[in-house]
Amino acid sequence: MADVETLSHSGISVHDLKEAESFYCGILGAEVHGAVNFVTEDTLKGRSVHQSYTLGDFLFALVLAPDFMPMPPGDKLMGVNGFRHSFAIRRADFDAALARLGEHHVPFKGPVDHPEKGPFGQSVYFKDPSGNFLELLWRRDEGVAYAKAPDLDVG
Amino acid sequence: MAMIDGFSHIVLHVTNLDRSEKFYRDVFGLDVIGRDLVTDEGPNSLLAMNTRQRVLLVEAPEVVAIRPNSSSIHHAWLLTIDEFARAKERLAKAGFDISDSRAQFRATGENSLDVFDPDGHRFQIQAYGPEATAIVNEHVGPIACGHMDDFPVGTVKPYVKGKFFLVRLDDGFLAVSRWCTHMNGLLSWKKEHWHFYCPMHGAMFNRKGESLPCSRHCPTLRLHPLSIGADGRITVDPDTAIERDGYHPDQAVPAHAGASSRYAEPQTA
Repeated sequence: MADVETLSHSGISVHDLKEAESFYCGILGAEVHGAVNFVTEDTLKGRSVHQSYTLGDFLFALVLAPDFMPMPPGDKLMGVNGFRHSFAIRRADFDAALARLGEHHVPFKGPVDHPEKGPFGQSVYFKDPSGNFLELLWRRDEGVAYAKAPDLDVG
Repeated sequence: MAMIDGFSHIVLHVTNLDRSEKFYRDVFGLDVIGRDLVTDEGPNSLLAMNTRQRVLLVEAPEVVAIRPNSSSIHHAWLLTIDEFARAKERLAKAGFDISDSRAQFRATGENSLDVFDPDGHRFQIQAYGPEATAIVNEHVGPIACGHMDDFPVGTVKPYVKGKFFLVRLDDGFLAVSRWCTHMNGLLSWKKEHWHFYCPMHGAMFNRKGESLPCSRHCPTLRLHPLSIGADGRITVDPDTAIERDGYHPDQAVPAHAGASSRYAEPQTA
């Protein structure tokens, strides 16, 4: 038994909030959770301008980067630019998800097979428009009834 | 499109897999599942939380924990209150500063601290106690607010004692609790924006107490019973809270002598 329940949220820096929202919501199916920290007084206190979203059971904030962030090479699709978030897809939906990336002209690497001794099945790797690496995969343990993350609306 | 079934794992580069695996196990408190169970760019270790979420540490010669020119990059562990207490003990023992540098932005019952792993990845550690969402009762007794004629339509007056706003709408008076219904942060009145604002998590509400569509969705702000005496003087009972689902004109107390709250059953904390 771990001493950590879940990863409640992440902050992800992007160059353009609208462009990022189109990508995460329009292609991956994220939903707007709430606009926060657009209040002038708040930003003057040092809080960055951001908006939060949910993607599946995960809450994340897209944070406006204060300056241009170095981008990974365009042809590098698998990597870790500080971190990489990986989202699970049911195995039965995996091919449809890849087709959807293709329809939206999102280049990806894969599918890559994982060792059969591990919990992951196959992954594909790609980037958001700001160069943050992402991964979609199906998992061999998708039928296991894990504890659900508490719905605390935090972040 | 519901393409995503849920969050699976986060991948982090580390320069020394043995060191980081030990840190994530012994200091953060994750369970080690095993080595090289995943195809990736280097030797790796997979660790587990209590949900199906995983952490994959991948050894790399160089690590850029936070992208240059980025801001607010972080990932947040959610712990129970007991787990949080144990995490603080482990962190203190490991020499970490366990004070909360943003304590002024925390709601009541919200526990948080920031920790950097051995490679500089920034993690927030969070836990929420039941007091974060419990109805707050300061037991201050009835508050005399003055004469109804001193509050023109549109008035919003905050009260420190009792923690409420006296609001006069076209429909009448409301005594709106200043405690945010997301978590117990104290709202302020943003006169220039015509809304209530919570500096803890950014929730915003209109003068009726409804959360704004552009804000995070929160239950409608609670009310306190309000009465207007025969002499036209207003009294509010902040020791009693009334929960509600949206605004209805019946919730407002008409601006005439002898009127009082007639909405819903009060819930005393």
